[in-house]
Amino acid sequence: MNVVEIESLKKSFEGRKVLENTFMTVKKGDIYGFLGPNGSGKTTTLRILLGILQRDGGTVNVMGLDPSTEGDRLRRWVNVLPESHGFYGWMWAEDYLRFFGQLYGLNLSAADCRMHMEQVGLDSADRRPIRTFSRGMKQRLGIARALVNDPEVLFLDEPTNGLDPKGRREIHDLLLHLNREKGMTVVISTHILDDVERLCNRIGILYNAIIQYEGPLFSASSGKAIRYRFRVAGGNGVSGQLNLPGITVQEQTGNWFSCTIQDMKPEEAIQSLVQTGIPIAEAVQMGSGLEAMYLAHTGGGRRP
Amino acid sequence: MRYVGALIRKECVEDIFSSRGAVLYLVGCGILSVFSFLLVSNTELSLLDNAQAVYMMAGIVVGLAVLIAVIRGSDGFAGERERETLETLLTAPVGALNAAMAKLAGIVFSWFIIFFLSIPYLWTVGSTGQNLWPAFAYLFLAGTLLVVTFGGFTLALSARIKTVKGVLSIGLLLFLVSGSPIVMGPSLRQSAIGRFMDAINPFGVALNMLDSVVVDSQGILIQILPLSVLLCYAGAVLLFLHLAIRRMEL
Repeated sequence: MNVVEIESLKKSFEGRKVLENTFMTVKKGDIYGFLGPNGSGKTTTLRILLGILQRDGGTVNVMGLDPSTEGDRLRRWVNVLPESHGFYGWMWAEDYLRFFGQLYGLNLSAADCRMHMEQVGLDSADRRPIRTFSRGMKQRLGIARALVNDPEVLFLDEPTNGLDPKGRREIHDLLLHLNREKGMTVVISTHILDDVERLCNRIGILYNAIIQYEGPLFSASSGKAIRYRFRVAGGNGVSGQLNLPGITVQEQTGNWFSCTIQDMKPEEAIQSLVQTGIPIAEAVQMGSGLEAMYLAHTGGGRRP
Repeated sequence: MRYVGALIRKECVEDIFSSRGAVLYLVGCGILSVFSFLLVSNTELSLLDNAQAVYMMAGIVVGLAVLIAVIRGSDGFAGERERETLETLLTAPVGALNAAMAKLAGIVFSWFIIFFLSIPYLWTVGSTGQNLWPAFAYLFLAGTLLVVTFGGFTLALSARIKTVKGVLSIGLLLFLVSGSPIVMGPSLRQSAIGRFMDAINPFGVALNMLDSVVVDSQGILIQILPLSVLLCYAGAVLLFLHLAIRRMEL
């Protein structure tokens, strides 16, 4: 069952086309990674999906409802963490969650609020004004707020912004738990490809106002180019020998060679190089398969 | 409708607990203190009769209330947009119109606070004179309608204009133009320009009504027309607010 369906979506701002014939399909239970460079229209798409921005054309369907006409009804069952989300600094965290609970028709007790805060690792911050929170704490509180109505579809715009590695891992675990245990569908818009690789089963890449790729994450990463850096002992003069089938040297800096490995596993590539007699002293992966794939679909990361 | 109550409560609590709300009331009390001192001095020196002093003090209270309504209305949506809280609010299933009505209720709540703060000042100025109680009643009526008019108008602008500065500059300009009967003084108000301003602007209508009640001791039947005019202004602004909210931008 598809919980999000977009077809031929169009949106322009002051004559500039932000979305043009964009499509998107998110199935129930997916963790969908929505990728694209800055200004590619990801946030605009999320706003249209939530019904807080009107589209110029196309059809949009979220949980069987059209957000532009049934937005208030839809927003009872979904929730969102916007990219730039401010807070009422004078409120205490517990009051903040209770206030948003009331907006969803819920009467959250102190225990409910504490449970939501513990869920995101804000264990002892419930009776503090939000203005005293650090950026990471605010991000966690924003995620707790986005979970107050136990949404069926959760939209997250850069959810791990401002979080330290431990915090990121905790949020990953929480999202995976919500997805596996409660069947929550999650749509994540992010630039952090590591988040996508850890969490998502499907991805969509938006560039130049259209979806360039949509499909499973696995097929996006497999069979594509992977970038590696090799340090070769006594490296001068071996550049030509490195160009084996499936391995292409991109750049040389001293003994370091930046290569692209195509359609083979990195271990196999290293083995081939060693068997050819090239003394590989060190090998460092420069980017994941997803990164290479992302760059390939977004013009090397250049802005449209 | 629980969420509407929650929104109104948030607006009212924010009005008291946020630093800018408290500063506005403190400044307001300072202004009322200065004017009440001047008016009492004038009354003591027999330069003004007691009713005139009450009427002038009521005009100051109305002016202050409208000024605060303009400031709060300008901050309504534009302030939330600048503080990046608007998107989060609108993604809750509350509806932009309900959010606007809650904000307007918060502005009216500010007026109630100003009204209660002004009671001791009006009492100080006019306790020994005539028509103090009618002054309170008509001040409350006229003030509420003017606050809805000016606060609602700037709130509607803040739904469309993205910055507080932009809305505030238009709101203050409107406030100065329509509040000119207070600035002009009695003699200029008798001129053609003054009479024209009195006839078309809600401030003039409200002040004439207070003059009629407090100074001339005229009855309620005389006040039906000015009250109807103020009601029309408030109704027109509510319609404008409704239309502006439908095209609100993030």
